[in-house]
Amino acid sequence: METKEFLRRLSEGVGVSGYEHGLHDLIREALAPYAGEFSTDALGNCVAVRRGCGEEPRVSVMLAAHQDEIGLMVTKIDERGFLRVAQVGGFDPRVLVAQEVVVHGRRSLPGIIGMKPPHILTDEERKKAPKLEDLFIDIGLPAGEARETVQVGDVVTLNRAFTELHGGLVAGKSLDDRAGVAALLECLRRLQSLRHAADIYAVATTQEEVGLRGATTSAYGLHPDLAVAIDVCHAGPGLDEPGASELGKGPAVAVGANIHPKLRDLLLAVAADCGIPIQHEVSPGATGTDAWAINIARAGIPTALLSIPLRYMHTSVETAAMSDVVQTGRLLAEFCGRVDRALVEGLRWN
Amino acid sequence: MKDLIRDFTQAYGPSGNEDQIREVIRRAVEPLCDRVSTDALGNLIAFRQGRGEPVLRRRVMLAAHMDEIGLIVTHIDEQGFLRFAEVGGLSAHVLMGQRVVFGNGTEGSIGNERVDEIKDLKLDKMFIDIGARSAAEAREHVEVGDMAVYQRGVSEMGTRVAAKAMDDRIGCVVIAETLRRLGESPHDIHAVFTVQEEVGLRGARTSAFAVDPHFGLAFDVTGVGDTPRARSILNMELGKGACIKAKDASLVVPPAVKNLLVKTAKDNAIPYQLEVLPAGGTDTAAIQLTRSGVPAGCISIPTRYIHSPVELLDLGDVEACVALAVKVLQGPIEV
Repeated sequence: METKEFLRRLSEGVGVSGYEHGLHDLIREALAPYAGEFSTDALGNCVAVRRGCGEEPRVSVMLAAHQDEIGLMVTKIDERGFLRVAQVGGFDPRVLVAQEVVVHGRRSLPGIIGMKPPHILTDEERKKAPKLEDLFIDIGLPAGEARETVQVGDVVTLNRAFTELHGGLVAGKSLDDRAGVAALLECLRRLQSLRHAADIYAVATTQEEVGLRGATTSAYGLHPDLAVAIDVCHAGPGLDEPGASELGKGPAVAVGANIHPKLRDLLLAVAADCGIPIQHEVSPGATGTDAWAINIARAGIPTALLSIPLRYMHTSVETAAMSDVVQTGRLLAEFCGRVDRALVEGLRWN
Repeated sequence: MKDLIRDFTQAYGPSGNEDQIREVIRRAVEPLCDRVSTDALGNLIAFRQGRGEPVLRRRVMLAAHMDEIGLIVTHIDEQGFLRFAEVGGLSAHVLMGQRVVFGNGTEGSIGNERVDEIKDLKLDKMFIDIGARSAAEAREHVEVGDMAVYQRGVSEMGTRVAAKAMDDRIGCVVIAETLRRLGESPHDIHAVFTVQEEVGLRGARTSAFAVDPHFGLAFDVTGVGDTPRARSILNMELGKGACIKAKDASLVVPPAVKNLLVKTAKDNAIPYQLEVLPAGGTDTAAIQLTRSGVPAGCISIPTRYIHSPVELLDLGDVEACVALAVKVLQGPIEV
């Protein structure tokens, strides 16, 4: 499958944290042709394995990009048939107003998130951002019929078609972090024509948005020698600080306490050797990404982080450059090609 | 069951100091299982060997936390007043006018500094008065690091009951009752009465690692939206049956687990309600994230006024939780 087509189908797919099963067939269809083994674990993590050509016991690399998206969950169906919701992950309630949604009940239903018209807002209401508790989903049905189709606990996603903008940019929902999953495909495809000594575990993780949960258990289960997480980072407009990422200038290589310095150095060296553009991301503490959960799994796993620059994160119009997705996959593949036992042994501190 | 509720809620056991409640629960569950043990963190593990059909056998972990929220002494001043910090989530406003008790039986009244507006009342403006006239006199009874809990009896109100520490001694009651009524079950059951849930699901984390279960089922209280002008987005109500959790702040229950619980409730005509709790977590999350991941769900007891000394619930809901747990454990668990 072509990378952009994969990203389009991922973006328009449905996979709220904990409910990623709707994406599994698509991920298998795209990744399995480039992997000797493909499996799904207890938490729904999808693992594509490419065995390396090194001597056994072979070293292994885990690549992790999360497949889940933020969404909403029905908490109550009120007496007029309106749905009340809670967060699954972190939406800013301001961006939910006036969105079209899909309610995944016994069957999928269209819904809209309504709001009081401006004409009848009080001056005080005008100054305040709405809270999630004030919002409701209108599915057009009275309470009785709504309750036949929708139950408390059903998930809700934003309804948004994937769009290509000019300049090689793409926009849609859930590019966080399905752009990263698309980069895994790009990487696996390139690895077909590269010799790699290490076993490669390409993992589309689950439940990242609610606490890095899929990465926690898959890192324990796979027990890799090292790992690279792939996620998104903020790009402007709206970011004024110098050093902020920009679209189209390549993946951002993270530096900080969560990142093994020697793995970062290797990523920078590989990028320089292959002429891959990169940017820098400074993340001093826990990065808040799967890189953190993997880093502290078991007795500790050396971990790096690549980030694809993204505008308007956690909205339905997340915007990225396809070239950054491709360059991320390329850098990952070239990096994987350099991993061998000597490298792994060199990661230990004296 | 009312006796169990009385015994379990009245026992002392703030997080990290579960010795007294552990003995109370041990006495209650020892006759109901094959083996009882404790671990390094103080979890109490009641093991019951599976019987019948070995092909159906799964290693199942049940969890309810036996710790309760409390107060920990941080400083004893010259006049003998005790300053304190919270163990778990305490509200200054709920604490006003309360009586508390330490593990050695020392009782105290909660007092507070003068504040101009009640909204300015914070825990650091409050103190425990144990009647001591000096630091030396106070130290005869209490030291820095000692913990106190609410002192409050049980109120029976027909089919409804109010007490301190229903969170989560009622979950412990549900497990004890489930073991008593279970009869034949193909599963090896590790019923864990966990410690330190209120300070971060700590006992469940380590006990689940040791048990290494195929399936986990936790029992805890959940909030309701059925009181006057309550939080309007909550669906749960007292008296409407066992709550089957879909999500709380600590986990998303796997749909297959949620569906197993819903199907079991429906097939056996057990009243149930679906639960989404936007804030608060449970031991379920710690079990789910154990090792390479464990399918886990939660049966919740709908409860009003959680983390107050007057946590109030309906015995019919408790019965429904027990009935549901029994039926789940008697059947095949394929998730």
